[in-house]
Amino acid sequence: MANAPILQVADLTKHYGDTRAVDGISFAVPSACVFTILGPNGAGKTTTLEILEGIRQPDSGKLILFGEPMTRVDRNAKQRMGVLLQEGGFEPQLRVHEVIHLFASFFDHHLPVDDVLKMVALEEKARAQVRTLSGGQRQRMAVGVALVNDPDVVFLDEPTTGLDPQARRNMWDIVTTLRERGKTIILTTHYMEEAEALSDTVCVMDHGKIIAEGSPRTLTGRLGEETLIEFRMDAIENDDLVHLRTFCQAVHVDGLHVTLETSDLPQTMGELLTWSKQGAVPFHDLHVRQPNLEDVFLALTGRTLRE
Amino acid sequence: MKDIFAIARTHVVTALRERVTLFWFLIFPLFLLTLLSLIFGSVTDNEDVQFVISLIAYPQSAADLPFSASAAIEEAFTEMATPDASGRAPLFVLHVPSDGQDLEAFLDAEVTELRRGRRAAVLVLPEDFDRQAMTALSDASSAVAGARLYMSSTNVASETASSIIDQVFAELDRNLLSRMGRFDESQAVRDVTEWVGQAESEVAYIDFALPAIVLMGFFTSGLFGVPGAILFNRDLKVLRRYWVTPLSVSRYLAGFGLGHLSLCALQFVLIVLVGTYGFGASIRFSSPTAIATLILAVVTFMAFGFLITSLVRTANAGMATANILNMPMMFLSGMFFPVANLPAFMKVVILANPVTYLLESLRQSVGAQEGTMMPSPWTYVVPLLWIAFSTLVATRRLRWDVER
Amino acid sequence: MTAFAALLKNEVRVFTRDKMTLFFTLLFPLVFVLLFGVLMGNMGDVDQADFGWVDVSTSDDETLPHVLEDAGLHSVRRFETRPELEAAISDQRTDFGLVWDGANLVFLYNATRLQENYAFQQLAAGITAEFNIRKQDAFPVLELTHIQAGKIESTSWFNLVLPGILAFSILSSGLFAISGHLTHMKERNILDRMLVTPMRPALLLAAIAVVRLVMGFVSTLITLGVGIVVFRMTFTIDWFRYAVFVVCSTLGTMGLGTVIALLVRRPSSASNLANVLAMLMMFLAGIYFPIEFMPPFLRTLSSWMPLTHMANVMRYVTGVIDMSQGRFWITSAVFLGLALVLFPMMGRYAVRPLRR
Repeated sequence: MANAPILQVADLTKHYGDTRAVDGISFAVPSACVFTILGPNGAGKTTTLEILEGIRQPDSGKLILFGEPMTRVDRNAKQRMGVLLQEGGFEPQLRVHEVIHLFASFFDHHLPVDDVLKMVALEEKARAQVRTLSGGQRQRMAVGVALVNDPDVVFLDEPTTGLDPQARRNMWDIVTTLRERGKTIILTTHYMEEAEALSDTVCVMDHGKIIAEGSPRTLTGRLGEETLIEFRMDAIENDDLVHLRTFCQAVHVDGLHVTLETSDLPQTMGELLTWSKQGAVPFHDLHVRQPNLEDVFLALTGRTLRE
Repeated sequence: MKDIFAIARTHVVTALRERVTLFWFLIFPLFLLTLLSLIFGSVTDNEDVQFVISLIAYPQSAADLPFSASAAIEEAFTEMATPDASGRAPLFVLHVPSDGQDLEAFLDAEVTELRRGRRAAVLVLPEDFDRQAMTALSDASSAVAGARLYMSSTNVASETASSIIDQVFAELDRNLLSRMGRFDESQAVRDVTEWVGQAESEVAYIDFALPAIVLMGFFTSGLFGVPGAILFNRDLKVLRRYWVTPLSVSRYLAGFGLGHLSLCALQFVLIVLVGTYGFGASIRFSSPTAIATLILAVVTFMAFGFLITSLVRTANAGMATANILNMPMMFLSGMFFPVANLPAFMKVVILANPVTYLLESLRQSVGAQEGTMMPSPWTYVVPLLWIAFSTLVATRRLRWDVER
Repeated sequence: MTAFAALLKNEVRVFTRDKMTLFFTLLFPLVFVLLFGVLMGNMGDVDQADFGWVDVSTSDDETLPHVLEDAGLHSVRRFETRPELEAAISDQRTDFGLVWDGANLVFLYNATRLQENYAFQQLAAGITAEFNIRKQDAFPVLELTHIQAGKIESTSWFNLVLPGILAFSILSSGLFAISGHLTHMKERNILDRMLVTPMRPALLLAAIAVVRLVMGFVSTLITLGVGIVVFRMTFTIDWFRYAVFVVCSTLGTMGLGTVIALLVRRPSSASNLANVLAMLMMFLAGIYFPIEFMPPFLRTLSSWMPLTHMANVMRYVTGVIDMSQGRFWITSAVFLGLALVLFPMMGRYAVRPLRR
């Protein structure tokens, strides 16, 4: 069943001086899904999201939200939106429940504050002042604020940056739960594994443009049926590379780290091990994997997500 | 409306939970009120003031005179250094040389003590004082009996003691003239003190100071509280969290204004309670003019706070600007020191200062001031002009979110 | 470069690149100087009084006009009617006035000019006394000659205030060196970064002290300069004792800053508490309000405040008042002693882990 787009963007542009932070992007977000904008720092993800959140006005382009065309996100639209900002403070002297109450008052309809606290597992911290919370607790409170009006669309800007692995898992669970409840989640991240784990659709951005869009599987499928064999060598000679190229489709070298692309894993693996034993060429940290979004980005741009 | 009340509540709660804010906005005005009342209240009452003085009467060269002026003076000062029947502390503590003590050495020592601030004045009656006095009394010529008063004009106590001693001498002068029949006390003209306008007596200091302290509280709330709250919240992106919700800037401002008004009301109640029940202030702020002036003051200073907020880039710059403006605006308004006789170039600052007008209006409305320094319509016009100007500038320039 | 030299260079850079601290240390005292210089220039100066009078008596006696001429008033204006005079007093165009009805000298005052009426009433008493004597053709028998025994010739209380402002800027400089600067370094973990190296805390404290001392000197000299040039004040500065006391008191107030820092839970509270205490001291140290007129318990409180003694010593070293040598050296020694006793505590505070 095709979901009607809850959000559509056409030729969206935003400049800062000579820099094109968002350079004519277009996409559509169906309802009840997780739509992820993936890209390295400086790709334009946050600017895009800020336009969709109503913080910034685009220089040009069309925006249709909840079926209504608008040049800037208006107050009616905000009634149905929830936003988790990448950076943002709360009054340090307020208590957690007071913060939730405060934000609840901005909406015509909102969930009971106790339900929100339960949703983000902060019931025990309800009376604690914000300045006493840990980083993870503050982030959970911020999520609670984003969900207080039971929004139809939730914007999460880099929701797990700076969180420990456990807190990150908790956040992923929240996102999954929201999707199961029929919400639309638009999130930005530069973590490939996060995009792969959560997304229905991934939109890859670089230098203000969308360079790829699709489900994680579709995107990685574009790289073909190749399997990747990765390992590390103590030293790499030119002869080594020449020889490696004889039993695989492609060889990528990054320092001492080597990646082989092959469509015939048993064949390539056998020849690799033989070569290593016969030529006394040791290698380490061998592992085999399928291509991921990092590889997609690398193939499209020649750079990794972390550069 | 719930969003406006929620913002107002947040503003009040965060201010009161911050100890620093509590101190400056509530405790400090009360402290200043207490201090000023204790200091200046006691000056006008003259209850606790006491001066340590020395009196050196040299042995008089002329003996066998029918009358000794120096003895009369000594007697007068000794009496003033004696506690009265009620046991109240006397005006003077008198140091005199002991019998046989070298008077020159004593004088040197006492003058040194004067220079060191341990004496208010040193009065010297020279050895020909009585003879000169007799001559002046009997001769009706222009000869006088000269005494010397060592004092220090860099010492306030010395200035005041000297002026009291001048009066004592004037009184003694008349007594002597009366005794010699050269002055008829019954023919003396009395001086009568009257107060211009409605007052039957001089305004009590607390009645004079209380309106000033109330306004000072409002002023610091507006000058520091408004930029502080807005700028820090903007820079820390607390405000941004509001702007991604349906809350509009105007509703935020309404809530902020309501919260600010509530804080000022709390300040007002506490200060007036302390002033009335702690220090016996008799003024009441219940007249329509007083209430209107109070509200105008809150709005003026809040608008001024927004003006500063719109003109600076960072929270630290805002606080620095507020600090720089605070003292001059408070002191060049007549809050604590009289400004009527200041030079013209200072008058310009005073006349441009909205605090000056609001203070005069408030004092007048509670009966603690008669006329005003400037014509009465301007009393409200200037603060209103400041509100208009501040609003205009702030509307154009105030950024509600940090730039990229 | 030695560690101390590097720390010193760093402290100078941090100080001079922070425009706010620089402004508040060097130039903010000037705001006070300029403000109070102007305000106090005229306060209590009765020969600035504008006087008005009305003669409603039927006599032609010229005694009163002559007395008024000689009374040392700024201006004497004769009004036609009493209501006119009252209106002028009410509007503060005239400071106080007199109605002579042939039997009484009725002095009129504005009931709300509390701080000035006392001085006007002194003038009125003088006018009455002189009038009575002249009216009966009597001549004064007694004459009291005022002899200025104070260290300098001055008619303005501002001579006392300015050294007090100098004292306050030294207090701020020393106090906030620890309760502002060092505590900020602590809270921002800048101190931790330094302390995991072989750097000795004593060197850092020494570097901070040197910078504050120099800045304290510069600030006081600028303030003195403004007083001399703009307000034409005269000071006879004993440079040796001036230098000695600035050093001792800056170090001593750094010690006080340490006490504050040790008392509070969070380093960020230290500067707030220091601010509050400095403000309280400023009002109670006799700089702006004379101690002599405070109630006894406030006078006692004032005598316990470091700033009170600092203000007095600064008045002494700038030649405004006199002071015994003993008192000067004891006061300086006490401040220095405070620093020496508290210096080890400052060091321990610097290395103590933050309570979380």
